[in-house]
Amino acid sequence: MATEKELSDFLKSVEKRAWKRAVYAVRDDDAALDIVQDTMIRLSEKYADRPAAELPLLFQRILSNATMDWFRRQKVRNQVVRNFSEFESAAGKEDDFDILETLEALGGPLQSESAAESVSRAQILQTIEAEVALLPARQREAFLLRYWEELDVAETAASMGCSEGSVKTHCSRAVHALAKALKAKGIST
Amino acid sequence: MKNDNRYETAAREAAESRFASHIAACLTESAETVAPDVTERLRFAREKALALARRSREGGQGVGVTASGEVIAGFSRSRWWLRFASVLPLVVLVGGLALIQDWQNRTQISVAAEVDEALLGDDLPINAYRDPGFSEFLKAPPNE
Repeated sequence: MATEKELSDFLKSVEKRAWKRAVYAVRDDDAALDIVQDTMIRLSEKYADRPAAELPLLFQRILSNATMDWFRRQKVRNQVVRNFSEFESAAGKEDDFDILETLEALGGPLQSESAAESVSRAQILQTIEAEVALLPARQREAFLLRYWEELDVAETAASMGCSEGSVKTHCSRAVHALAKALKAKGIST
Repeated sequence: MKNDNRYETAAREAAESRFASHIAACLTESAETVAPDVTERLRFAREKALALARRSREGGQGVGVTASGEVIAGFSRSRWWLRFASVLPLVVLVGGLALIQDWQNRTQISVAAEVDEALLGDDLPINAYRDPGFSEFLKAPPNE
C-alpha cells in the first residue's frame, strides 16, 4: 500500500504533465485543471490502498477516462472523429516527404532553421506544444503516454484500451506528423 | 534484400525514438514553466486528494466530496446509512399497515365477543332469533 508521502510525491511529480496533457486534449486551461483534480480525487478515493508501483498506470488510465468524460459532457466527440478522418485523408499525401531524413535532421537539439537568433526557445516550445495539441486524439495520447510518461508499449496499450500494434501505429504516425509539421515551420538542426 | 529492409526498419524506429525523446524533453521543459496560478491550483487539488485519501484510510470513517470540491468526513464508506434511510419510510409504512390491520382484527373480535356475550347471557334462548314468528314479533310496533 502506498504511503501518504509516496502518494503525495507521485501526484506532485505528475500533476503538471497531467495538466498539460489535459490542455492538449480539451484546449481549455480551467477544464484541464478540473480534469486533473477529478483524476487525483478518483485515484485517492479508490486506489489509495494500491502499491505505489501501480499508481502511474492507474493515474494515466483515470486521466484518460476523465478526459473522455469531459468530451462526453461537452458533446464534442464529433470533432474528435473529424480530426481522425482529416488525418486519415492526409496520410496518403506523404509520398514526397522523406521521413527518415527529416527525423535524422530533427534528432538533435531543436533550434530554428533560418533565424536562430530571432526565435526564442520559448517560442519553439510553444510551437511544439501547439503541434502536439493538433495531433489526432488517439495519436497524441499514445505518443504522450509512450514517450512523455515513459510507459512501455504494453502499459500504453492497457491504459488506452487497445492493442500493442495500435499503440505502435499511433506513435509512429504521431512522430511522422510532428516531424513534418515542425520541418514545415522551420524547426530543425 | 531482407537485411536491407530490417536495417531500414531499425534505423527508422531508432530515428523515431530519438525524435520522440527530444519532443518529450521539450514538453517536460515547457511543463516546468506553467503559470503560478495553475501551479497553485494544482497544489490545492493535490492537497484535497491527499486529505481524501487520508480520511478514507481511517478505519470505518469514509469521506465525501461536495460539488464545490470540499472534502467532508463522517460518512461510512459503504454509505449503508443512505440505503437504510431510503428503505426506512417503506419499513415504517408496512409496519403501520400491519398495526392497523391488527387493531381492526382485535376490534372486530371484541365487538363479536360483546354480541356473543349479550346473546348467551340473555334469558331469551338463542334459537328464538331463528324463529320467523319471533322476527315478526320484534318488527311489530310495541303497542299493538
